[in-house]
Amino acid sequence: MIEVRDLTKDYGPRRAINMINFTVNKGEVVGFLGPNGAGKSTTMKIITGFMAPTSGVAKIAGFDVFESPLEVKKRIGYLPETPPVYTDMYVRDYLKYVADLKKVPREKIKTQIDMALEKTNLGSVQKRLIQNLSKGYRQRVGIAQALVSDPEVLVLDEPTVGLDPKQVAEIRDLIKVLRGHHTIILSTHILSEVQATCERVIIIHQGRIVAQDRIENLAVQNQGQSRLNIRLRKDVADLKTLLGGIEGVVSANQGASRHDWEVHIRGTDEVVDAISSRVVKEGLGLLELSPHKVDLEDVFLKLTYGQDQAGVQP
Amino acid sequence: MMGTMTIFKKELKGFYLSPSFYIIGFLVAVVLSWSYPIQLNLFSQLLANYMFQQNLPQQQLNIHYALFLRHMSYLNLMLIFVVPALTMRLFAEEKKLRTFDLLLTSPVTSSEIVLGKYFAALAAVGGMVLLALLYPMATRTMTQFNWAPLLIAFFGIFLVGAAYAAMDMFCSSLTENALVAYGTSVAFNLSIWFIGAGAELTDSQAARMVFEHISMNTHLGSWAEGTIRTSALVFLFSVIALFCFLAERVVESSRWR
Repeated sequence: MIEVRDLTKDYGPRRAINMINFTVNKGEVVGFLGPNGAGKSTTMKIITGFMAPTSGVAKIAGFDVFESPLEVKKRIGYLPETPPVYTDMYVRDYLKYVADLKKVPREKIKTQIDMALEKTNLGSVQKRLIQNLSKGYRQRVGIAQALVSDPEVLVLDEPTVGLDPKQVAEIRDLIKVLRGHHTIILSTHILSEVQATCERVIIIHQGRIVAQDRIENLAVQNQGQSRLNIRLRKDVADLKTLLGGIEGVVSANQGASRHDWEVHIRGTDEVVDAISSRVVKEGLGLLELSPHKVDLEDVFLKLTYGQDQAGVQP
Repeated sequence: MMGTMTIFKKELKGFYLSPSFYIIGFLVAVVLSWSYPIQLNLFSQLLANYMFQQNLPQQQLNIHYALFLRHMSYLNLMLIFVVPALTMRLFAEEKKLRTFDLLLTSPVTSSEIVLGKYFAALAAVGGMVLLALLYPMATRTMTQFNWAPLLIAFFGIFLVGAAYAAMDMFCSSLTENALVAYGTSVAFNLSIWFIGAGAELTDSQAARMVFEHISMNTHLGSWAEGTIRTSALVFLFSVIALFCFLAERVVESSRWR
């Protein structure tokens, strides 16, 4: 459905995205994950035909975004970061205008508007001026606007930013409802959102894709590896040498103080057992030892933040 | 062309259903309601005792010159400031509200966007010109005159307004600040009006001809007597086409910048 090949975009001398490649199949929900300024919005803007790439190709339903933009735009519903609403229009009139713009056939317009209003729970405010709506409602009007043409592809740029927790949950439910019928790309920097709504995730950092896989696969990417948080009563200069000789200890990093340590291990409970007995035997005063499963967050931090650190070190 | 129609309808509603359009119309009406009766009164006094005035140019006894031409000059002066107020939001507001993203990701071409907005602006300018036409029409209840020169004159002033609208729409497309758009628009409108004054500054015969051809004062005079000069039409339509084209380029440029 969506095919992106070697996509590159320069803003002057700054390269926003660099050789991005991915495909999204029909009916899939894909999360676009990355820290602020990673190039998420830029990629989305190119996919929607909002702007042209410096080089590379993006295709929607087989149509090249740059060569047949009108065909592509007919098939896309796009929610930008700021919902593109006219504050001086009524919700219903606004949706009708968008439906006209998107060339929805005249006889289908009314049913489409009703469908979009119903899906986004906007029925009660449809006769109100958009400027009198709260931010959450405006965001929903933005989503309704993307839905009103019943597009094959939905591109949502940070759809839950600025919403209260209840509205966030509602939007996530909405995305789950839309799954299967539409192909959805949504960008976010909130991990739980991806976990809650997406089947597949593309992690982008400094304009490059650093990982793309199904969520289950990513979460177990570092399978067998887990993290121990250890708190001690005594000062320890170097826990790593103290734990020397134990098979399975990967690293030991100092936490907030010399009392707190983070130990990465590979292996099963026996390693944990060995570490705890060693610590007790050394008389360090074991206060806390809590194992931590590696989850998506760790993967994300490792792929993005970890890379920065690696870049700083010579 | 569907896209042009959709945008035209939306913008037209934006003009005619917004209070600001009527406030502007009201202010124009206030000024014209003040100036027009004064001119009318002066003209009637002139007619009443023209026997006593020797060497009075014949033109001054013609209602089209003595009254309507002045009325049109006032209207033009107001259009210079009113048209930017109408058009300043056309693109600047879209950029500010980020609704421009919606237009650019919709299946409409840049020229459809520009034309839709331009036609709506024309309709708004037309409303203002019709408002001004009410005054001569009311005069008809008191006196007899020819309709044709009057209508041609108003068609002419509408064309001038259309040229302002094209330039001002272009100014609006350059910025996301409506006030900046207003300021630059007024500067453009004034400059096109004063460019004709160059005829009095130059000695070269050729340059003088050029300036006279693009001088608005010459055009207004000829319209008032009911002549449509092709040089005026060519000049105004060129300005309109040029600035619509430039606005289209600005819109299109946001796709590849």
